[in-house]
Amino acid sequence: MKNSIKVERAKKNITQADLATLAKVSRQTINAMELGKYVPSTVLSLRLAQIFEVEVSQIFTLEDSDWD
Amino acid sequence: MKLNYLFPNKYKKIGWLILIPSAIIGLTTLIFEFEPNSLDFNVAAIFIEELFGDKHFFGIVNNNILNEILGVLILLSSLLVAFSKEESEDEYISKIRLESLVWAVYFNYAILLISFVLIFDLAFLWVMIFNMFTILLFFIIRFNWQISKLKKIVHYEE
Repeated sequence: MKNSIKVERAKKNITQADLATLAKVSRQTINAMELGKYVPSTVLSLRLAQIFEVEVSQIFTLEDSDWD
Repeated sequence: MKLNYLFPNKYKKIGWLILIPSAIIGLTTLIFEFEPNSLDFNVAAIFIEELFGDKHFFGIVNNNILNEILGVLILLSSLLVAFSKEESEDEYISKIRLESLVWAVYFNYAILLISFVLIFDLAFLWVMIFNMFTILLFFIIRFNWQISKLKKIVHYEE
């Protein structure tokens, strides 16, 4: 799964640490998601969408490998 | 997400403070077979097998309780170290926790399997003694190693 967290973060001009505080997770989690190492839960995805004021589907996109 | 099967974060430090000294004392007394007479007591037992004797349930045995005390301290403190929340316990940390736990179980049983095949008779008693603690120990090592790796990566990124 691809995500545009880094892009959305740049638009809002906030750091990983800021986003971590807003989303109530650790900085490591934000970092791991941006690197594609961690797929967040539905709750965290919805929180991110609310913080960025976009739809969840605008942040996260399925890839072919997600159907394997 | 609410996790109610983990202890609060502060218990991790308390766990380490008990675990390290009791592990050191435990190992030392085990190796040197130190059993002070002052700790010999008649204690209740639920299963008894006398030397060259019969087996029966429930009774009183004379036992040196030093290893019981140290064993209990090591087990309880290991549980605190292993299962206290991290400062920022979130869903990603939980995932690492689960992965480390599965890894620790595999690793522990791999070592136990090898020991089964290659260690015999009374020598196997050592395997059984250590195996009581190793599953938690392997988990603690692996989990804390993963967490510290994670913290380092973040430092490089920013």
